Amino acid sequence: MPYYGSEETVKELRRSLSNPNVQADRLRYRNVVLKVIRFMSQGLDVSALFMEMVKASATVDIVQKKLVYLYMCTYAALKPNLALLAINTLRKDCTDPNPMVRGLALRSMCSLRMPGISEYIQQPVLNGLRDKASYVRRAAVLGCAKMQTFQGDTEVDGAVVNELYAMLRDLDPIVMVNCLRALEEILKHEGGVVINKPIAHHLLNRMKDLDHWGQSEVLAFLVRYKTRTEDEVFTILNLLDSFLKSGQPNVVMATTKLFLILSEDFPNVQMDILERVKGPLLAICTSEYHELCFLGLCHTREILRSLPGHFSGHYKKFFCTYSDPNYIKYQKMEILRDLVNDENVQQILEELQTYCTDVSVELAQMAILNIGRIARTYSERCVVILTGLLGLKQEHITSAVIQTFRDLVWLCPQCTVTVCQALPGCEENIQDSEGKQALIWLLGMHGEQVPNAPYVLEEFVDSLKMETSATVKLELLTAMVRLFLSRPAECQDMLGRLLYYVIEDELDMAVRDRGLLYYRLLQQGVEEVKRVVCGPRSDPSLDIISGQANETVNAWTKDFNTLIPIYGQEQWDRLTAQKGDSLEILQLSAVKSDETGTNPEQREEMVLDSGSVRLKTSAHLSAEQFEEHWTRLEAAKVVTLDWHKDPSPDAIQSAFQFVHIQSVAISRRGAQLWKAYLFARNETGSLFLIELLIAKDKGDIQVTIKQENSSEELLNNFTTVVKSIIQALDERLDLEYISVAAGEECSPN
Amino acid sequence: MIHSLFLINSSGDIFLEKHWKSVVSRSVCDYFFEAQEKANESENVPPVIPTPHHFLISVYRDRIFFVAVIQSEVPPLFVIEFLHRVVDTFQDYFGTCSEVAIKDNVVVVYEVLEEMLDNGFPLATESNILKELIRPPTILRTVVNTITGSTNVGDHLPTGQLSVVPWRRTGVRYANNEAYFDVVEEIDAIIDKSGSTVFAEIQGVIDACVKLTGMPDLTLSFMNPRLLDDVSFHPCVRFKRWESERILSFIPPDGNFRLLSYHVSSQNLVAIPVYVKHNISFRDGSSMGRFEITVGPKQTMGKTVEGTVVTSQLPKVVLNMNLTSTQGNYTFDPVTKVVSWDIGKINPQKLPSLKGTMSLQTGTPKPDENPNINIQFKIQQLAISGLKVNRLDMYGEKYKPFKGIKYMTKAGKFQVRT
Repeated sequence: MPYYGSEETVKELRRSLSNPNVQADRLRYRNVVLKVIRFMSQGLDVSALFMEMVKASATVDIVQKKLVYLYMCTYAALKPNLALLAINTLRKDCTDPNPMVRGLALRSMCSLRMPGISEYIQQPVLNGLRDKASYVRRAAVLGCAKMQTFQGDTEVDGAVVNELYAMLRDLDPIVMVNCLRALEEILKHEGGVVINKPIAHHLLNRMKDLDHWGQSEVLAFLVRYKTRTEDEVFTILNLLDSFLKSGQPNVVMATTKLFLILSEDFPNVQMDILERVKGPLLAICTSEYHELCFLGLCHTREILRSLPGHFSGHYKKFFCTYSDPNYIKYQKMEILRDLVNDENVQQILEELQTYCTDVSVELAQMAILNIGRIARTYSERCVVILTGLLGLKQEHITSAVIQTFRDLVWLCPQCTVTVCQALPGCEENIQDSEGKQALIWLLGMHGEQVPNAPYVLEEFVDSLKMETSATVKLELLTAMVRLFLSRPAECQDMLGRLLYYVIEDELDMAVRDRGLLYYRLLQQGVEEVKRVVCGPRSDPSLDIISGQANETVNAWTKDFNTLIPIYGQEQWDRLTAQKGDSLEILQLSAVKSDETGTNPEQREEMVLDSGSVRLKTSAHLSAEQFEEHWTRLEAAKVVTLDWHKDPSPDAIQSAFQFVHIQSVAISRRGAQLWKAYLFARNETGSLFLIELLIAKDKGDIQVTIKQENSSEELLNNFTTVVKSIIQALDERLDLEYISVAAGEECSPN
Repeated sequence: MIHSLFLINSSGDIFLEKHWKSVVSRSVCDYFFEAQEKANESENVPPVIPTPHHFLISVYRDRIFFVAVIQSEVPPLFVIEFLHRVVDTFQDYFGTCSEVAIKDNVVVVYEVLEEMLDNGFPLATESNILKELIRPPTILRTVVNTITGSTNVGDHLPTGQLSVVPWRRTGVRYANNEAYFDVVEEIDAIIDKSGSTVFAEIQGVIDACVKLTGMPDLTLSFMNPRLLDDVSFHPCVRFKRWESERILSFIPPDGNFRLLSYHVSSQNLVAIPVYVKHNISFRDGSSMGRFEITVGPKQTMGKTVEGTVVTSQLPKVVLNMNLTSTQGNYTFDPVTKVVSWDIGKINPQKLPSLKGTMSLQTGTPKPDENPNINIQFKIQQLAISGLKVNRLDMYGEKYKPFKGIKYMTKAGKFQVRT
């Protein structure tokens, strides 16, 4: 990169550019301009040449014009004053007889990205909309969108919007699609372009003329169209049927999404659609481009969420080849795991087994974990395979297998015996702390079935000084105490040594505290220790697993063909949460309870109109007025909800404020009878009053809602909004509560 | 939609950038470099990378990363397909899509990108139409341009989009009217240790080169159309006609285009054209290993297997190999541990084989994974699925065109486990 010596280069270029001899020779002139562009693309700052370049734009040579325009678009933001000089030339070019020059000039002018440009480009853009060459119209339509961006948040020009809506009927298909794109951008704050019945039907009729980019975008816009009748739904499905088998993956995906959403109310039709799209989707999954495969696989997983057996017959398509990149192999393995059934389990397990010895450590471990997942249903076969893998005596493999065993024993207690037989000898091949933790846990929990358990643990105790991970030490303490209870004679001495070391020499506070805890507990007598350490265990995770399968198709249709399937809903929320502020998360989770599976933007809309209640953003009501209304009105609804937390006024206030419910008065934290008064006004002026009441030690919250103009539907909607917020708050306050409680403990009173 | 595009070579230099909607600083690529470092191999860089304000969607082709920066909610497949289209276009224009080619033709690259996207939305991506807007550079034209000072830019607008048939321009004229079709099939297969097929699939395409005057209307019929599983067509093919009669009826675009692509999968038994006999063994504690491969044809319907190349990635413990081949040359790269054996034509009477010993690092346990063998080959005049074109007819024009059909089978991801 020639960042150095840039001044010299620029000086030299300037000299050539302003040399009249060069200017006279078209070819030489262009070559100098070309040189400037070359330097620009290498990252050299040539903005100092702006003046000379503007002059160079006054030429008949189209290539030179293009080059200069490219230059201007890059540097206009840096040199706004000089860029104004260029505008005259550009405006003149907009009236050139050659449509290509006109289009080019218009496009460049709209891309100049500098303040105050909009007043100059408005007229040319409007003229361009009526140009007879479609090439110019295309540029002009998008120019309207760019103009709106320059003007920022000023009023949307209604005339332009109407003109664009009218131009949806343009003969040129790309102009039509550009109109949609431009309208979408201009009307972004009002929820984008409106697709009503005539527009939708017009778009459907034009579909076959579009290129596939246009098709895929129009399909995405059609998702917004709300069909009125069943017949209409099926007419659209029939009309667009061939696009489901299109050669372009993006069109296939867009069509699938549209179809699934259209047939929301007809589960049978949805099944048919998914059946029909199987072929094209598998074709994407085996495409020659890895990136396409990857996304195809992500979407396949999305479908498997509701139809676990959907691709079972094609499981062989998901076998990994050697040349697949790792990110594809991960996806394929997870799909294979989900496709397992009685017929193919043998083949899939054999296939996964070959991946377990892959060169890549992560890949091998992932394969083992996936076998572990299959083991939840086919435990015997899998345990045999996993035990076999231990024989390889490879560190990363052993560690992963032991971790899988730990989860397996917890979830399927019936394989405990086999697992325990496999354990002896493993300790020699485990180096990483996750593996150690798993092994120690297994030995502590099921030590009575492993003959040499105490001796293995003894080795860990003896090498405790060398151990760096605190979690391993914590795990060792618990395991030791557990094993002591089942095999006291062999462990007593060891446990003593361990406790002594932990309490006297350990530097980590958590470990030392845990040691002290066990020490004091042991002082209470063995029975007491047994009651605490080996108390009855619950398996809450079992519910999660069995409850995981078979979501409804509608749960994910809205996310189909977006970025969400790549990350999964949870991770996506986390990703987008980083981008928004924390308040938004709270408010998102508030709505999540009744609106799962919408993408963040849609959810935002949901909140703003709060389930069609449409609350006003700013409303005022003084405390006196509130009291007056409150005493005058009858309670319209009283509901009682679960509430386990000490309420924090700030959190409650901000959460409600986000859905435009204002607070009037809130008791302070810890009051005997905690009360809060809130109100909201909707767009039609209807007033809601809310009272929240928490009696101490009762575990619930009583919500009283009063309404000024009684309307059953509004009231119900409003109540759901309030409920969901309270539920979300109840879940969310957990952490905060803990931290506050800890703070209080430290304070003197 | 697409805010910016960065082209990054495998050593991590951004050598070209283009912005459409807003100028996104180069620093956004730092997230990409981070992922690249983590992935340790270029191929393993995930195609979608989140950053605080944008998403980076990348494709990796010809040792170049094409990284698109997107901000809003965009269908990811759309972006990836578009990027591939960009690469295809570059290949079309410059013959190869390498860093050198792009840097040499930087002006054409900018021009093309400018026409392909406006404000981040795809505009003209059909290579037919693009080539009329911006003529591809050829050596002859470069020379002529330097002498006469004329330009690469077409001075009239492509009329194609205004004709009734959007993919074909009007007023095409040829002295010789020809239509060629190439049926190319790639066979993807995984063969296990014992020689039985774990997975096999054929991916086929029919590429056409049509140079016909006027507005010809073609029909192409197959002897056995039921073979085709998933078919996807060029937009010119009349889908209804295919559904009812299994005949391809279309008005072709001018020049080269892909008429259709299809899959033939495991439901129909896939014939495997070559077999491999192998014996690769490592003994525990010994510093020598045996390596022996024999390749032979099977189920080729009497056609010759050509261009055969066998490659295998050997475990790290292999230090060197001492082999003799009965045919062709072999190379072993001691750094990457890849052995590659270029066989060429396979003679069924005298099967090529490669035998010898491997010297292993002493004192290491024997590797737990056996190497995979990848095979490439070509078979001319054979479509391995058995697909055959029955006839090709032309309507709508008076002249008699010259027609030709060629078949070819290639190995795709053809892998043998040992």
